[in-house]
Amino acid sequence: MLRKRFARVQEWIIERFIQMAGIMGIVLVILIFYFLLRNSLPMFEERTVGQLLAGTRWSPTHGDGKFGMLPLILGSLYVTVGALVLSVPLGLATAVFIAELAPPRMREILKPAVEMLAAIPSVVFGFIGMTVVGPWFADHFNAIQVGQFAALGSLMLCFMALPTIVSICEDAFHNVPREIFNSSLALGATRWQTITRALIPAARSGIIAAVLLGLGRAIGETMTVLMVTGNAQVMPEGLKGFIKPIRTMTATIAAEMGETPHGTTHFHALFTIGLLLFIITFGVNTIADIVIRRSEKDIA
Amino acid sequence: MKSTRIGLILLVLAFLVASVALMGCPPQDETGDEAMMPPEDTPMDEEPAEGGTSTIEIIGSTTVLPIATAWAEAYHEAHQDVDVNVSGGGSGNGIKALIDQTADIAISSREIKDSERELAQQNDVNPIEHMVAYDGIAPIVHPDNPVGSLTIEQLSDIYSGEVTKWSEVGVAGMANDDIVVVSRDSASGTFESWKEMVIQMGGEAPDRDYAPAALKKNSNKDVRQTVADTASAIGYIGLGYIDDSVKTVAVVPMSGGDAIKPTHDNVQDQSYPIARGLYMYTDGEPTGTVADFLDWGMGEDGQALVEQEGFVRVE
Repeated sequence: MLRKRFARVQEWIIERFIQMAGIMGIVLVILIFYFLLRNSLPMFEERTVGQLLAGTRWSPTHGDGKFGMLPLILGSLYVTVGALVLSVPLGLATAVFIAELAPPRMREILKPAVEMLAAIPSVVFGFIGMTVVGPWFADHFNAIQVGQFAALGSLMLCFMALPTIVSICEDAFHNVPREIFNSSLALGATRWQTITRALIPAARSGIIAAVLLGLGRAIGETMTVLMVTGNAQVMPEGLKGFIKPIRTMTATIAAEMGETPHGTTHFHALFTIGLLLFIITFGVNTIADIVIRRSEKDIA
Repeated sequence: MKSTRIGLILLVLAFLVASVALMGCPPQDETGDEAMMPPEDTPMDEEPAEGGTSTIEIIGSTTVLPIATAWAEAYHEAHQDVDVNVSGGGSGNGIKALIDQTADIAISSREIKDSERELAQQNDVNPIEHMVAYDGIAPIVHPDNPVGSLTIEQLSDIYSGEVTKWSEVGVAGMANDDIVVVSRDSASGTFESWKEMVIQMGGEAPDRDYAPAALKKNSNKDVRQTVADTASAIGYIGLGYIDDSVKTVAVVPMSGGDAIKPTHDNVQDQSYPIARGLYMYTDGEPTGTVADFLDWGMGEDGQALVEQEGFVRVE
């Protein structure tokens, strides 16, 4: 009798533990948001939202402090868009190859190899970019003066976003019912036609989700971009901005937070950048989630 | 199940209460400064317990870092029971650590700012300044760059973005005429000193600021590396970091005359115009191990190390 009681209590405790762990995730996100909000609100007493988001000069130690975040926002945008331009086609192609075209033995090697890319620490990518890849570009292309520029960040980030994109695209392809594939072949289409005109469109939502998640990964990356983009908070000029140094939002926080005393305007400004990053990443992940859920519903 | 829900709510509440209590954050109003973490009760510098080891934490300027590191090693040799931990991050980092009481000594290549002093007072920290060495800041270029000397005005123009091409300062024959301006970031004391003495020309151009296009690197070594790798770059580093990978530029002072090379001797006889003191800050007058350490550093042994690292001793 007692043993049964004990077993039930044990089970109750374990269930509560697991439930709590699950809820903790939500609670943590809410707390982080609250923390960011609380430390960035004082900023809005000092500057207007317009001055912050549209200001073109970030110079926190000059006089009163210039906190225009636009160069940083554009910096993050350039690096992220560049990373997507490189990683989406590459990731999609790799996923197609792994899912449909590779012989089984090659698949067994490729899949873990791509996933191993995700295990490489970001600082290692930064280090390789800064000491090897960047100077190589600077030496071989006259237009690139310094081995630290936006596109270099994009290139290194491409390798970091790749595993995410590849694995989610692959999942998306697996979720497409085999009938679609087979009926396309049965109707006389070649394998390539089937892949490009039946499989990929059917997996469309999953691919979009993969892109969005890769985007979230790229925009939040700090260490790599801090090391390879040069950290010049300029307003990038068109396409030339890709081969010149820029500064991302994440690198700004990392570089300046250490020396900013608590409670100063600069401190609050950095938190405002953090808040903006949080909102962007949260938004991107939420949209990706909705898209994934919709694609699963479509297929079901 | 009712008991399930109650149990869950209670557990989550208990966890939240525990974490808030541990954080120790008092309810705040949003105006003005707020110290997110109240300073810890235990002061950092401790008297060496009989037979135990004590630690000195030194944080701050990467310019002063070689001096602090050399002192730390030599002092530890002489006093095995004292561990001296040194780390960089920039003068701003060091002073902030002193204010937050996570460092015993802040090393800085600039004087403490008024705003920092105020924050220190609010945290019951009283920064006391000790000048430990003299240093010069040397403008550096790539070894293949033919430039020999520049005036302070030219340097100011380059760093504020008024001048963007090497040909505008009389340097011909560069493969790429655009000047790549390399700087430290705002955590650095060298950044501040350079801004004041060069960009703002010692106060004559108080509105001038760094050009946004200047690359912000986070240490002397990083600046030197970037300039060494980039043919059309210009940067600035402390005397102690000059080596063969870069070429120094002689500077013509504001008062005119000959261009002075940034060398140890020229800083010592005060002819080199871009020179400043290097400082260590303590919370109040130093006591115990910290006082001993600083006295040692200002003595013959410590100052000999200052010279060895390429800086200039204080008399």
